[in-house]
Amino acid sequence: MALLELKDVNKVFKSGKSEIEALKSTNFKAEAGELIAVIGPSGSGKSTFLTIAGGLQTPSNGDVLINGNNLIELKEKKRASLRLKEIGFVLQSSNLVPFLTVQQQMKLLDKVKKDNLREEQLEQMYESLGIGELLNSFPSDLSGGQRQRVAIAKALYTDPSIILADEPTASLDSDRAFEVMDMLKAATKQNKKTTIVVTHDTRLIDYCDKVYKITDGKLKLEA
Amino acid sequence: MFLAWNEMKNNKLRFTLIIGVLTLVSYLVFFLSGLANGLENLNKEAVDKWEAEGVILTDESDINLPQSSFERDEYDGDGASETAVLGQFNSIATSGENKANVAIFGIEEDEFIMPDVTEGESFSETGEVIADDSLKDEGFKVGDELELSSIDETLTIVGFTEDAKFNAAPVLYGTLETYQKVRYGDAAEANEDLINAYIVRADNLDDISVDDSLQLVSTQSFIENMPGYTEQNLTLTLMIYFLFIVSAVILAIFLYVLTIQKISIFGVMKAQGISNRYLSNSVIAQTFLLALFGVIVGFGLTILTGLFLPAAVPVAFNYADMALYAAILVVVSVLGALFSVQTIVKIDPLKAIGG
Repeated sequence: MALLELKDVNKVFKSGKSEIEALKSTNFKAEAGELIAVIGPSGSGKSTFLTIAGGLQTPSNGDVLINGNNLIELKEKKRASLRLKEIGFVLQSSNLVPFLTVQQQMKLLDKVKKDNLREEQLEQMYESLGIGELLNSFPSDLSGGQRQRVAIAKALYTDPSIILADEPTASLDSDRAFEVMDMLKAATKQNKKTTIVVTHDTRLIDYCDKVYKITDGKLKLEA
Repeated sequence: MFLAWNEMKNNKLRFTLIIGVLTLVSYLVFFLSGLANGLENLNKEAVDKWEAEGVILTDESDINLPQSSFERDEYDGDGASETAVLGQFNSIATSGENKANVAIFGIEEDEFIMPDVTEGESFSETGEVIADDSLKDEGFKVGDELELSSIDETLTIVGFTEDAKFNAAPVLYGTLETYQKVRYGDAAEANEDLINAYIVRADNLDDISVDDSLQLVSTQSFIENMPGYTEQNLTLTLMIYFLFIVSAVILAIFLYVLTIQKISIFGVMKAQGISNRYLSNSVIAQTFLLALFGVIVGFGLTILTGLFLPAAVPVAFNYADMALYAAILVVVSVLGALFSVQTIVKIDPLKAIGG
């Protein structure tokens, strides 16, 4: 069973009398252990695809299945609960709470969800992400690369089956960008997760098992 | 609580300022309640000492003690467990440089409204009086001869008693004859049976029957009809209630602004699956902590101020009232936070993260 599946999904936005189809009829499957890139220019529908896949908005038509659960049939409260359990987000502008230290960012997740990574797994993750020395730092004390690594740690901490990353390397130089992709790839392969990276940075496609291109809302498998 | 506490801990200046505003509001509430209580005591502490259930006055007096005058045999004590006669007259007493508004009470020494003497001795002759000890602060002392305004009679202070103010004036207790002499002068003997009121103790005021020319009122009603008493209390109480609203609005505005500033943070957390309930509880917990700190500091400041206030300021803190007002302040502050809760519930995580 695919971890994430979109069946005949489309998204139409209405603006006055006109309609814009931001995502045209889309079928998509992602299996465990796959790192997938979705590339395309600005305004092509990448973010719409990602937010529908992550249950942040509902499609106009079609079904979105996460581990067999159809998001469309769930109310917002249940969708939020499923997001917390199954999805880790890595956002372009980092998803860190500014008034919490790195360690407190994880503790916050402990407050809202049980069965997160165990202590030794957490330390191992800190080590592999190179943030063990930053645990008492606030986001404002971190560089862009460090913030993105902490954001990845936060996304992985709840042990989700799916990681959705929206332009995770946008604010990073090449070395840092490749470093982040290495980390996402390792997390995907070692823990049998599905990672979908939405980006317009074609340098990242070498890291991915599959590459989809999205143009004018139409998703197409490239490689 | 985790999110609320850590945000406060890591943004000390911002939250200290909010606590500071709440401290000032609660300080004002506590101080006003002390002032209301003190002014209330100024009016009625002599009446409270009677520990009586009711007062008999003339029907035409409109529950105004100086306007009531009747002969003592018009009521025979029917239905009351104890009675005490009272003659009352207001004047200005002068002794050398010292001058004060006073209420002269003419009483029978063996009746229950006779006060305890805390300094000096009790009156035994006409013209001798026991004075409220607040007069000591104004320079009066035992042995002082008191000249009364527009009257030839003089009184002598032979002792002091505590907590004896009536309608904000210190009371001079003397015999009924002293009162009559002061009030009627040479005609005192002709008016020796005239009094202003009977003070009564009774298990049930309904058991007491009085002539049609008299009326029986409860002690509470008697107090509330003192000149200016109700108006003064209502004014101060209204100010206190208004401050409750002010504190709720202030905190609501502060929290709303803070919430608006954090929309993207809340949006990201909601995108991650953190529930509205957790975020709303966090805002409510934060409000509770802010209000609690503000109220506690305000309470401390009020007590501290009370220690340094001159005796002339009529402030009397009633801790039960203050605890109630503190609880109300915290509750209305939390109610004020509900605007922010509504905002959080409406945050669309998609918009907040720029999708």
